Amino acid sequence: MKKHHYRLGCDIGGTFTDFALIDDDSGNITTAKCLTTPVDPSDAVEEGIRELESKLPGFVSELDELIHGTTLVINSIIERKGARTGLITTKGFRDVLEIGREIRYAPYDIFAEFPRPLVPRKYRLEVDERIRSNGDILKPLDPKEARRVVRALVGMGVESIAVCLINSFENPVHELLLEEIIKKEAPGVAVSISYRVLPQIKEYERTSTTVTNAYVKPLTGRYLSGLSERLKKIGFSGRLFIMLSSGGVTSVETAAEFPVRIIESGPTAAVIAGQYYGKNFNIPEMFVFDMGGTTAKSCLIQKGVAGVVPTFEVGRVQRFMRGSGLAIQVPVVDLMEIGAGGGSIAKVSKLGTLQVGPESSGAAPGPICYGRGGKEPCVTDADLLLGYLDENYFLGGEMKLDKKKARRGVEEKIAKPLGVSFIDAIWGIHDLINETMTAAAKTHIAEKGGNPKIVTIAAFGGAGPVHAYGLAKKLGAPRILVPPNAGVGSAMGFFTAPRAFDLLRSHKVTLSSASFLEVEQLFSELEREAAKILQREAGTESISYERSIDMRFIGQGSETNIPVPNGNFANLKKADVRRLFDETYEKLYGRTYPESEVEFINFRVRASLSAQLLKIPKLAPSRGHTLGAAIKGKRQAFSAAVHDFIPYTVYDRYSLFPGAEFEGPAIIEERESTLIVGEGSHIRMDDYGFLWIDL
Amino acid sequence: MAAVFDPITLEILWRRLISIVDEADSSVSRTAFSSLLRDAHDYTCIFTDKKGRELAQGTFATPGQSGAMALGIKNIVTKYPADYYHPGDIFIINDPWALAGHLNDICVISPIFYKNQLTSFTACVFHHSDIGGRVSSDNQDVFEEGIFIPFVKLYDRGVLNQSVLDMIRWNVRTPEQVIGDIRSQVAANHVCSEKICQMLEDNDLENLDDLADQIIGFTEKSMRGMIEKIPDGTYAAKGIIEQNQGQDIVIQAKISISKSDIVVDLDGSSGQVKWGGNVVYNFTYAYVFMAIKSIFAPDIPNNEGCARPIKLIAPEGTVVNCRFPAAVAARMMIGHFLTEIIYRGLSEVLPDRVIASSGGTPAAMNVFYGRRFDGKPWHSVIIRGGGMGAGAANDGNYVYIFPANGANTPVEIFENDTPLIVERRELIPDSGGPGKMRGGLGKREVFRVPDDRYAPLPPVNLGIQAGRYIYPPKGLFGGKPGARAQFLINGSPGNPYGLTQLQPGDVVTIDAPGGGGYGDPLERDIDLILSDLAEGYVSPRGARKDYGFDVKTSRRIVGTTKKQTSKKAKLNLHQS
Repeated sequence: MKKHHYRLGCDIGGTFTDFALIDDDSGNITTAKCLTTPVDPSDAVEEGIRELESKLPGFVSELDELIHGTTLVINSIIERKGARTGLITTKGFRDVLEIGREIRYAPYDIFAEFPRPLVPRKYRLEVDERIRSNGDILKPLDPKEARRVVRALVGMGVESIAVCLINSFENPVHELLLEEIIKKEAPGVAVSISYRVLPQIKEYERTSTTVTNAYVKPLTGRYLSGLSERLKKIGFSGRLFIMLSSGGVTSVETAAEFPVRIIESGPTAAVIAGQYYGKNFNIPEMFVFDMGGTTAKSCLIQKGVAGVVPTFEVGRVQRFMRGSGLAIQVPVVDLMEIGAGGGSIAKVSKLGTLQVGPESSGAAPGPICYGRGGKEPCVTDADLLLGYLDENYFLGGEMKLDKKKARRGVEEKIAKPLGVSFIDAIWGIHDLINETMTAAAKTHIAEKGGNPKIVTIAAFGGAGPVHAYGLAKKLGAPRILVPPNAGVGSAMGFFTAPRAFDLLRSHKVTLSSASFLEVEQLFSELEREAAKILQREAGTESISYERSIDMRFIGQGSETNIPVPNGNFANLKKADVRRLFDETYEKLYGRTYPESEVEFINFRVRASLSAQLLKIPKLAPSRGHTLGAAIKGKRQAFSAAVHDFIPYTVYDRYSLFPGAEFEGPAIIEERESTLIVGEGSHIRMDDYGFLWIDL
Repeated sequence: MAAVFDPITLEILWRRLISIVDEADSSVSRTAFSSLLRDAHDYTCIFTDKKGRELAQGTFATPGQSGAMALGIKNIVTKYPADYYHPGDIFIINDPWALAGHLNDICVISPIFYKNQLTSFTACVFHHSDIGGRVSSDNQDVFEEGIFIPFVKLYDRGVLNQSVLDMIRWNVRTPEQVIGDIRSQVAANHVCSEKICQMLEDNDLENLDDLADQIIGFTEKSMRGMIEKIPDGTYAAKGIIEQNQGQDIVIQAKISISKSDIVVDLDGSSGQVKWGGNVVYNFTYAYVFMAIKSIFAPDIPNNEGCARPIKLIAPEGTVVNCRFPAAVAARMMIGHFLTEIIYRGLSEVLPDRVIASSGGTPAAMNVFYGRRFDGKPWHSVIIRGGGMGAGAANDGNYVYIFPANGANTPVEIFENDTPLIVERRELIPDSGGPGKMRGGLGKREVFRVPDDRYAPLPPVNLGIQAGRYIYPPKGLFGGKPGARAQFLINGSPGNPYGLTQLQPGDVVTIDAPGGGGYGDPLERDIDLILSDLAEGYVSPRGARKDYGFDVKTSRRIVGTTKKQTSKKAKLNLHQS
């Protein structure tokens, strides 16, 4: 019998890999953080587990689950480091991927840039086949030609092939044949056919999503199988889960088959954690702010719920601009991610002004102060020189920072060329990155209908608590919340994520002519299919289902999703279903039209396992604690208000206790992060060890 | 006393307004019936204050509609002031002279009331595929072009005016679609109204008056600041637009910049014509505005403040300010050219801020309609752009409708809506105008009328509104023109101006033009030529002919010493 029930959350960021280990019986949490190893990210995973082993010997054999998020997929798209990918299309349509939808996302900007397709034109080949819009075969696929095309792509050295044929969602027979041929002709090449990735109408969106899947499939597959083996070797026998962009988690097998669904895997974890805290503390508007080494992720959580959107874009070429990225049609948590992190590089722009980010020095070489060969001054260098970070207590002292080198770097690369003082240079770097994040935050909050004047900023990530105060000041936000272990805060999100899988089947039929018996059969089939997928991860847990139907007025181009009750669909009355539609439609659009007939388009099932919730343990009430004992001393750090260095009181977060209260200016240090609070702000620790800062 | 918003609050509320209009905008793709709206996005939502001053528009607005609406709504609100409106009222109008220049553009306008006070208006123009009438660009006057709806109430204090709807229903070919799309307009306005009231409540605002003043004031100041940087002067340009028959149309533009004011005078332009190319003042203004806004302040969200420094003079009775009852259905065939004419005029003083002529000018529109094999009527409209002109430092983008905006209709949607088969949708190699910077590529589309058991009942009608069949999009500063438009029926040139009747088995090829090049093609970077060759954007033959580059030897065969300075090159610009 196992003595403990452990779960481990592990988030691989661009710079750091974060770990949070929970003992489900006691609620105790142990954390670790180490530099990401870009060549093989599982190196860092093993390193972190070994570090945890040194604190809790033997825990690996008692580990029930490892839940994992990674930025591997998105980074390989943004940096264009995915596989050489080939695309097979219907004759006449190889340019669909490049032509896209033709709309200009910035109508008044004649120089707006558009993203290059992931598959260059020379790797896009055609087959002379055709399916009609009703699914009839207009021109059969010639297997000989198909083989020739596949061989041609293999000859060009592609590692992965995407297939997207016109009208394949109505009749996949040609895509399935191509899939078979590719597997036979090119066994080492990964295959993604659009019918499996996204069986939906609209050839561009389907092609783009399928191509993206293909582009990252080899590397995701290699990585996940390598990781599984490695974990086995060090004694892990539990279940391995991967975070989906939609906020659920899934099995390794599913993630390897559909990597396009885990693009936002890493950033999502922090949002899920934020969602959980938002609900727990009943915060109506919470702004999750997770700033790591490479990027800052933000998401507005209203009444404890973060939005999920059905489509998104990656690799936007014009910052924040909708329409300037590659279209991906999979559900994703509605978050905003920008290139602003501790590793963001500061430099003098062509115009002779200071520029910070979006390029990052990443884990290697990293900021100058890491002393690992970094030559470009970064945000972390500025934070160190401003006195916000302690050179001897970075990662709890495990990593010594080189202040002198950082200072020289800033002076030579920033202060001198700009002709500004050293202080103006370091403050400029810190302040400018805050300004960039504020602009992103304002856009996101406004789009969601939030109000920055009432949001509580929940700060996570290694750099989040360092910059939260500046961000809050710029936004006019009244309060900051810093959870325990904030530096690895996003890894906490893995413990609260639901395990769910969504399935869809298209079947167009009018409400009046639909057989509810057939609908029931269709729903049951979907549920059986979903059960099969979830069983890998379910163990003995029971699965719950939510059913919904996409409905529309006949002739309308798009549908409205209508949740329908569980239980035998055949027992429902047509009038009941119609009423459900009318109620929703009227709520959304003001009026409904009972005289116009409606039809069913898609049937959806979301299958989920009950989330194993994280219990936040209360800390032991303070007995004999004094604030004085938590004070490590004083340190000169920069104050924006007086534009100079002033003494800040430095506290050890681990020595603070429930009910502890004090005023800024203060620096509160924990192993993986440092919280900076300016003058005039009030800090309080609650019963659970969360810090609340009122500005 | 007027409330003054601090910069952060101002920015948040401003962004919020835009995202509210965007929400209304995106509701259309969920509620609309015709693919021209839900897929091709041929519609615009805007939001004005209670004086009718535009405050925000949807991000994906098409500049012709939004520019014309900004003028139109303000005129309507000036004519019918605040006490004319009641909560629950919704108006409808498609008067081309009052709004967006042709009957297909129906505008639905809703006053927004908050705490029983009129606070603002929300309006949307949808391009309806079907407005009745004779579907062709060669009509003689507006009466032939469809049903004309003056400013009337669609809803009176929340009660539907069924007579108006019935009147429309009996004047169009596909009433289910048209009525469905009008309902979608009502829904879009509803979404906007709801969210505006919510925003006022969330922010404890009584009305939008002070916010409107500050947004407009701030925008005007920024816009003027940008214009002021340009030396004062008068610049001229002439545009020549092909006509099917008779003389070419000439547009004369004189652009005067004085401090932060710009006056565009189109005096001397051709008189109005006896076909549907006539442009109403609002629409002319919209594309003049588009050019100036894109040059001086592409990033500032659009509102009345951007328009204030710009004045347009267009004599009545000319093709750029036509008199009622001129035919106007195909007004973009002339109206869209105004933007590139302004660019040419200002290219001398602002060579880095303009682009060469674009293949998506004018936007091409194809109206397909007929009956399926079982007699069921169908009707589908698609729009099409081309390669954009190149700029000083960039190859032309493709394939885009420019200066208008809109999306393509997915092939799979088109085949669902019609009995036709799309055989190709692809880029055309060598169609981008050669230049130091290459023009964007054009696009070929091939349609087949099936002759099997799904063959439609003959004929299949095809109405085309397009251009550039004779004069290709021109280059700038020594750049060469892009490829011309083409319209082929079974491989032979068809007549792109009238109504074409197709039979089962016919194959139609429609080529969209490429954009003009910028600068001397002989100065194009070799690496760019090589990459164009690798991707097939330029053929080996094209490389030799257009760029003097020999693929076999990978070398230039024509001397590159010849340096054409941009100042000399521009002298050729005004000749067609």
